[in-house]
Amino acid sequence: MILIGELSLWVALLMATWCATVSFTGARTGRHDLMASGERALHATTFMIVLASIGLWTALLTHDFSLEYVASNTSANMPRIYVFTAFWGGQAGSMLFWALILSVYSSIAVATTRTKSPTLVPWATGTLATVLVFFIATTCFKANPYTRLDFLPVDGRGMNPQLQNPGMAIHPPNLYLGYVATTIPFAFAIAALATRRLDSEWLGIVRRWSLISWFFLTVGITLGMWWAYVELGWGGYWAWDPVENASFLPWLTGTAFLHSIMVQEKRGMLRKWNVVLVVMTFLLAIFGTFLTRSGLIESVHSFARSPVGSWFATFFFLATGITIYLVATRLRDLEARAELESMVSREAAFLYNNLVLVGIAFSVLWGTLFPIISEWVRGTKITVGPPFFNTVNIPLGLLLLALTGVGPLIAWRKASTSNLKRQFANPVIAGLSAGMLLFALGMRDGYALVAYILCAFVAGTIVQEFVKGTRARRSMHGESLPVALMRLVARNRRRYGGYIVHAGIVILFAAFAGLAFKTEHDVTLGSGQAYQVSDPYGHRWRFVSQGVSKYETLNREVTAVTLETWRDGQMVGLITSEKRQHFDTQKRPQFEPSTEVGIRSSAKLDTYVVLAGVRGEEAELRITFNPLVVWVWIGGALMAFGGLVVMWPQAERRRAQGGYVSVLEPATTVAP
Amino acid sequence: MHEPVKDSSNLFAMDQAAAVSVSKPPKPGARASMNADERDALEHRIRCQCGCTLDVYTCRTTDFSCQVSPAMHRDVMALVDGGYPAQEILDAFVGTYGERALMAPKREGFNMVGYLLPSLALAGGGTLLLFMIRRWGARAAMRPVPVAAATTNATNEEMQRLADAVRRDA
Repeated sequence: MILIGELSLWVALLMATWCATVSFTGARTGRHDLMASGERALHATTFMIVLASIGLWTALLTHDFSLEYVASNTSANMPRIYVFTAFWGGQAGSMLFWALILSVYSSIAVATTRTKSPTLVPWATGTLATVLVFFIATTCFKANPYTRLDFLPVDGRGMNPQLQNPGMAIHPPNLYLGYVATTIPFAFAIAALATRRLDSEWLGIVRRWSLISWFFLTVGITLGMWWAYVELGWGGYWAWDPVENASFLPWLTGTAFLHSIMVQEKRGMLRKWNVVLVVMTFLLAIFGTFLTRSGLIESVHSFARSPVGSWFATFFFLATGITIYLVATRLRDLEARAELESMVSREAAFLYNNLVLVGIAFSVLWGTLFPIISEWVRGTKITVGPPFFNTVNIPLGLLLLALTGVGPLIAWRKASTSNLKRQFANPVIAGLSAGMLLFALGMRDGYALVAYILCAFVAGTIVQEFVKGTRARRSMHGESLPVALMRLVARNRRRYGGYIVHAGIVILFAAFAGLAFKTEHDVTLGSGQAYQVSDPYGHRWRFVSQGVSKYETLNREVTAVTLETWRDGQMVGLITSEKRQHFDTQKRPQFEPSTEVGIRSSAKLDTYVVLAGVRGEEAELRITFNPLVVWVWIGGALMAFGGLVVMWPQAERRRAQGGYVSVLEPATTVAP
Repeated sequence: MHEPVKDSSNLFAMDQAAAVSVSKPPKPGARASMNADERDALEHRIRCQCGCTLDVYTCRTTDFSCQVSPAMHRDVMALVDGGYPAQEILDAFVGTYGERALMAPKREGFNMVGYLLPSLALAGGGTLLLFMIRRWGARAAMRPVPVAAATTNATNEEMQRLADAVRRDA
């Protein structure tokens, strides 16, 4: 199977090359036999990559250490789940994983659109196959997981302990699913530009796949935050690390697109901008991958310097050049069909939202790249860390939060004063009341206070929309409250799914603002010794060390300390933090020791204990109180749920009943 | 100056040999220049050189697989005990490792481009957007007042072609 897998990879390269060639030729010449051959070749490529992937999984699970990739990323005594996940744990495997997802996505996208969009599909197929050629060629020539060693090691090096976490099984696949999904909208955008069919045909396909990409990026980023929080022990979930930034960039532009596409659907506006956003999202996914795989920037979890960087750079610049040419030569076809009538309208609000989202994307990209730029210009290496990103992005984030509340309530075309009063009176009162209450309770952190005022404001707008809609249904159809609420969402999935996403955003911002009140304490405790401290809410905590214990389990030696934890005189449980030293089958230590964080979560705060070191019988600990962290995961989950609601297919009949997707007539009509 | 190098194709590879001693002789009659909280705050401003992108305090209290941040912490402690104030300690680290020893670049010279460009770009984008909105608004205002749509046998495509032709002629 391993040999078949290796051969399949090379056959896949030939198939994808054939697919790209005949699809483009067929599309240009109008030859249907070539177009059909291209489609078949795409599915064959997918089949070959599936075989190549099965081959690698077989090699990993049978511990074939003659393969360099298997020997470098696994060992015989690793838990089986992590042997399985090692597929995407290293450079070469992750390249194949990318190609696997892309080929499956491509086959699905082409199979589901071939009858609906016969003109676009050959161009899209050619584009998808070209991207596939790039990934398969890079895998074959620069990062081949089937490269063999000239000797057979007794055991492999194993996987970095920090990757031996359930997060490894779910975070990277979700992120890859999100990254790779940006290719489908890009391919259809290229197809639409090439054929000059820039009407609603391509927009429907692009929107669906952009949502899929957005959904998986949201899930992937949230899981990445959770993984960093529970596994790395930084005490936080976001450190503006270049790899985190790389995943955030396409999410930002993808989010901007999902808003601006509504303006194009409703008003026929922003057509150029939407093409730019689709292309930018794909290019940022590629650029982020280039950054983290080229070794150009330092990151805690980037791959080492590798030869794939130059290939990614070449591909990125080629894709950018071709896209710029296509957009520049089709500007007339992308003229807007209506014009903005007022600065106070929903279209304008979406434009402001786009400006802020793209502004954040630019500042994140700029901050990530600035160390390289500085080195080029001054020859001096610098670090751009969290202080820079927080300074620039916190105000922009708050502005975005405010727009989250404004956008959905403001009227299309032109909002009247009465419309503004009617829609915003209650939310504004909610925001101001929350601000006054928190101020009275002693909150003095400026950013946190503004964040909570805005959270209350946006929450007010969302609640108001649900209340109005449910009331309307109840009075019109005489439905009970739960039925009315459920049908309201079911019949208007895009609109109310969007509100659910916004509710998730509100919760996230509230949780982020909680970090302003985080406190950290370094303590050294011997067995039986206690440490007392107050949390940010004023509760009195007492931690009593149960001593240091050492034991061996699975593939590791564990040094652990357990704290008996009391709050306000009541025992709330035990918190254990560990140091782990992994070893191979010969009991030889692998990697440096790693730390397992001890966490006690509640709705109000997390008590976060890190075993920083052991001196004899004494444990050096860092105890951190992280307010509201659990709400980060709840907010992220709610956003993903909202995304699912929006994505869920809706029958045409019901969509019409929802009344949301009706296109507004142009402002002017022709006089008789 | 030591350049951090990653040594494997795995994720999370660290350069454990990146620590270089940052030392200065104690000042005459030296006393500790700051308390523990101030020292921790100072360590939040110094970057660990193992390749982790974390500050020294976070790295050393997080994951003791890193041998670099504890070494850098010892240097900070020695300088604090030697009576050096925060800025002189930061300067000493910059002198040894270069500017990459700081978690954020100094607000001077070319670094100001880094700090200001995102705000300038956003302000420029905002100005351009407002200009475009005003222009669109003015154009929309110049259009004839909407009247009731006439019934017509023309298809949407024909209507669009007509609208395009009218726009071209205009």
